[in-house]
Amino acid sequence: MIKYIRKMFKNGWEYFWRQGFLSFATALVIFIATILGTALYFFQGGVMYLTQELKDKIDISVTFKEEVARDSILSIREELVNLPEVKNVEYISSEEAYDSFVKAHEGDKYLEALELISVNPFLPSLRIQTKQPSQYKQISEYLKQDQFKDLVDEVNDYKRGVMIERLSSLTNSVSLAGILVTLFLSLIAVVVTFNTLRLSIYSQKEEIGIMRLVGAKNSFIRGPFLVQGMLCGVFAAALSFFLFLIIPFAFNEQLQTLFLGFDCLLFFKNNFFWVFILNLVIGIGLGLISSYFAVRKYLKD
Amino acid sequence: MIEFKNVTKEYPPNLVKEKKTALKNISFEIKDGEFVTLCGRSGAGKTTILKLISCEEKPTSGLVMFDDTNTADVKKSDAYLIRQKIGFIFQDYKLLPYKTVYENVAYALEAFDFNESLVKDEVMQVLELVGLENKVDHFPKELSGGEQQRVSIARALIHRPKIILADEPTGNLDPYNARDIIKILLKINESGSTVILSTHSKDTVNFLEKRVITLEDGRIIRDEENGVFSL
Repeated sequence: MIKYIRKMFKNGWEYFWRQGFLSFATALVIFIATILGTALYFFQGGVMYLTQELKDKIDISVTFKEEVARDSILSIREELVNLPEVKNVEYISSEEAYDSFVKAHEGDKYLEALELISVNPFLPSLRIQTKQPSQYKQISEYLKQDQFKDLVDEVNDYKRGVMIERLSSLTNSVSLAGILVTLFLSLIAVVVTFNTLRLSIYSQKEEIGIMRLVGAKNSFIRGPFLVQGMLCGVFAAALSFFLFLIIPFAFNEQLQTLFLGFDCLLFFKNNFFWVFILNLVIGIGLGLISSYFAVRKYLKD
Repeated sequence: MIEFKNVTKEYPPNLVKEKKTALKNISFEIKDGEFVTLCGRSGAGKTTILKLISCEEKPTSGLVMFDDTNTADVKKSDAYLIRQKIGFIFQDYKLLPYKTVYENVAYALEAFDFNESLVKDEVMQVLELVGLENKVDHFPKELSGGEQQRVSIARALIHRPKIILADEPTGNLDPYNARDIIKILLKINESGSTVILSTHSKDTVNFLEKRVITLEDGRIIRDEENGVFSL
């Protein structure tokens, strides 16, 4: 068996190497398919990042009446933190709110107006983040209950949750459309790869006939063609991996601006292993399967 | 032993060709160790006989026996078992273009799962026999027609087949190379292999002075020991 596999690889390498141009052309077509597959993976990563970013930017702000004591607010915070829907609750005192305003509006006319009234108009508040955008409504209604009526000045407002939900659903739709387009392009790449390999093996139809006449078993003939297809796939995967390695390193800033802050380089570093495996699986898989079906035709006759 | 019993071979019509009857009810026997020349015009049915022996085609009716095997019963996936007993020589050499002389010859042994440590010696021995020991690393396109045909013969001989099928092996060669090839075939026959040679060369047939089966329009019109070319 080992002897057979060694011969298969030796002959497959010979076909791959000696038919240089044909192998290169085939590998190039598989390369397009691997690029599309890997781009789809990056695209998914980007969409997840954007959705998360949107979710993190939205919260409910509950402002409390001026006379409400800090301890009362903190006990409400405790209650909220224990709710299953709540991800995070941040207490902002009126002083912190004032400082934050000053920092954000340094040097503009709003700050001048604030200095003129010489009192702190900001009320203490809780900033609440839920696990899902759809849960903002529930939290908002919870805080509008009678038990909080005397304490809460304003709940600001679950409509932001609705907005993020809409944005989120829009992002999901865009993501789905992107996946469908990429899948469609990938399908085209698969068909083109299959046909390229079929043509490449068609050009060796006569040689397959000779091998059969010389007394070679079908498996002995098929093996090297599978290895040849696999090597084309490995070559394509290596090219594609190299491309996805170079581009984020060289153009990460530009890509970050283009993809609304999505850090391609960080994504690549965090998913280095999976990007590598994905490229190999697509490349080798396409090369092997296409070769198998292409050569099968001539072994059946 | 090879036996044809009332064999008819028809090729069904297709878009470009009408139905063709290549062999019409022919019968003959070839004993082990014989040298038989199949002689006839193009389209007489010579190549079809060789294809029926090697299981490339199956008869429409009748019986083709190879040793004790009815070739019609051999599955396509098992045809290699019959072909491993045969050495093929073709007019157009049919060498593998991306393999060197050595690799072309060794391929036939590798396909038979031959003991690897002996492959090199066996290949070199047979290449010496056909006078190509100095061209082992050449690719077919770097060789002359005569040299390519000698590689084809070396490949046919390497596994010491019971039978050699030579389909117009001298068709593309000049008279000097053609004579050399025929001499090699005679030598192979003397070593015990059966040789079936298909040709339409008068010189070759008359030079051999062996059994000649003459075909015309799919029928055997003459089968003579020490026959001569007469069409």
